[in-house]
Amino acid sequence: MSEIATYSIGAVARMVRVPPATLRTWEERYGVVEPVRSAGGHRLYSRQDVERLRFVADRVREGISPGDAHRLLTEASGNLPLAAPDPGTRIVILLAERDPYAAEFAEFFLKTEGFEVVLALDAADAVGAVEADRPQLAIIDLLISGGAGLELCRDVQARGIPVLALSSIATRDAALEAGASAFLQKPLEPLQLVSAVRDLLGTSSFLHEVVPAR
Amino acid sequence: MTDRVSSGSERLDAVLGGGLLTNSINVVVGLPGSGKTILAQQYVFENASEDRPAVYLSTVSEPLEKILRYGQTLSFFDPNAIGTRVFYEDLGTSLSHPDALIETLGRVVAMLRERRPGLLVIDSFKALHPFASDATAFRRFLQDLAGNLTAYPATSLWVGEYGPDEIAVAPEFAVADGVISLAVEPAADRDARVLQVLKLRGSGFLSGRHGYRLSADGIHVFPRLADPVDQGTYTLEPERVSAGIPALDAALDSGLWPGGSTLVAGPSGSGKTLIGLHYIFKGAEIGRPGLIAGLQENPTQLERIVNGFGWSLGRDDVHVMYRSPVDMYLDEWVYELLTAVEEHGIRRILIDSLGDLRATATDEIRFREYVYSLLQRTAHAGVGVFMTQEVAELFGVTRLSEFGISHLSDNVILLQFLRSESRIKRALTVLKTRASGHDPRILEFEITSNGIELGERFADDQSFA
Repeated sequence: MSEIATYSIGAVARMVRVPPATLRTWEERYGVVEPVRSAGGHRLYSRQDVERLRFVADRVREGISPGDAHRLLTEASGNLPLAAPDPGTRIVILLAERDPYAAEFAEFFLKTEGFEVVLALDAADAVGAVEADRPQLAIIDLLISGGAGLELCRDVQARGIPVLALSSIATRDAALEAGASAFLQKPLEPLQLVSAVRDLLGTSSFLHEVVPAR
Repeated sequence: MTDRVSSGSERLDAVLGGGLLTNSINVVVGLPGSGKTILAQQYVFENASEDRPAVYLSTVSEPLEKILRYGQTLSFFDPNAIGTRVFYEDLGTSLSHPDALIETLGRVVAMLRERRPGLLVIDSFKALHPFASDATAFRRFLQDLAGNLTAYPATSLWVGEYGPDEIAVAPEFAVADGVISLAVEPAADRDARVLQVLKLRGSGFLSGRHGYRLSADGIHVFPRLADPVDQGTYTLEPERVSAGIPALDAALDSGLWPGGSTLVAGPSGSGKTLIGLHYIFKGAEIGRPGLIAGLQENPTQLERIVNGFGWSLGRDDVHVMYRSPVDMYLDEWVYELLTAVEEHGIRRILIDSLGDLRATATDEIRFREYVYSLLQRTAHAGVGVFMTQEVAELFGVTRLSEFGISHLSDNVILLQFLRSESRIKRALTVLKTRASGHDPRILEFEITSNGIELGERFADDQSFA
């Protein structure tokens, strides 16, 4: 599951705190972390890619050159340990989902992980919830309200809220172009959903507490 | 969605176009004893993992205890998997509640949340029907269940003892992405098991009826051999090869093309098997391993016959595949044949006889389709085939093949009995050769300790009646 390419370059840049231009330069120069490309040419990073870039970014911040950091990454590959999850603080997630069955499952799994969930079954409710509940993340089914999900993505993203887009059909490129930070195709694996949410919120331990391999 | 869920059986997966579609809803229908529960458990143990376990929910048709008791006799049943990657649960308690279907739905949803299964079986699904107050209540239950199973990533199998009439009207068949039918049909005095895919949304599958058997290893399917026309080209060997009898080679214009098919037709005792044995043993001599696929003489009887002509079955380059035509599935036989051809590097096959094979086919069209597919496969592989075919008339043969196989064969040889004064004579005629000329004369032959010895043509005044 960790190898599914899910994240846009913008989302990865925020997660590892390195500008997108630098990520592109590293890719071209060292060719160690090479994201797959979507049919539309978008770079798509897996969790593994993000983990590896995080390792490089941490080494660079310690004063090691990017070239040496990539060499260390190659030596450490497959040996990047994960720390225990963060206990987390109060986090509100907007779940804009048209399918009540899917909404119920997603809500259950997110609440089980300790998130607060605000549910909206149509786009108008979702916009209202963004203003009323000020969520830290929005999960948007692109088919909500007869296909208003892309517009909702743009709207929510413009307010500085990261978006995890969902759809039963393969519309990853359109979602990323509309400003979504990540895309998951339905039906959702519970673990994949929770991992993506944690990654985008920056609460994922593997993004913040990676211990460098010796 | 292209991921597939395997049954653990390569052939069944092939019938299903690669397997069940991941996260789909499938109904397995069949009368009691058809193997539905075995098939469902095969999927369970093949796919369950600790991360994505399988949940098997029994209803009120068969007690869970019984499912488990008989389940453990299956070779793939792993007792250590129970409680770790396979969970058997009984929905009986939920069904005894006044709102039975609402309770059942709640239990299924709870199971999805707690166990997070990759595979969910409900056995028997049909047994849920009487718990609905009316048809509308059942449809509502069905919609909620299907909605949950679409939202949650699990592949489900709903097993039920549905008859053919119910498939057209029961609403679960409209909801289902896939429908597999297991049937037991009478064939003469025996039962023939038939598997059919009735529906597989968003995927191709092998249509038609496929024979199957049940054993402790689960379900063994024999996909119907029915290859479409293959437009692909393949390399032909440039040199003709001996058919095994020098005079016959001469009549065939220097032997046979490798990879060709030859039909030898004639009445009983006319020498059809013997001419085929010449073909096989000559092939072995010239480096073309042979397979005698017999449905008449068993290996002991065959050994005595071949020994009588100075040959032996003890050699490494001649193999025997003897199968009794009793209780035989047509496609089971052909897969054994094709496996043997591949395993032993076979280059020549003798099928003795077509009539026995025909007796196991459901109808003539099916049999023609079958022989066509087989001969296409052997031709592509450069494997030559000799087929014997008994004709009914002892004298004056007027009709060659009841099954139209002569049209499919590259070469046709007719063996006949002729009356001649106070004795019987044998006659051989090459009726047809594809892509070459041949000697059209009627040649006399005798069977001696050396096998078939071909002589001269008959005089013009010889009677054939």
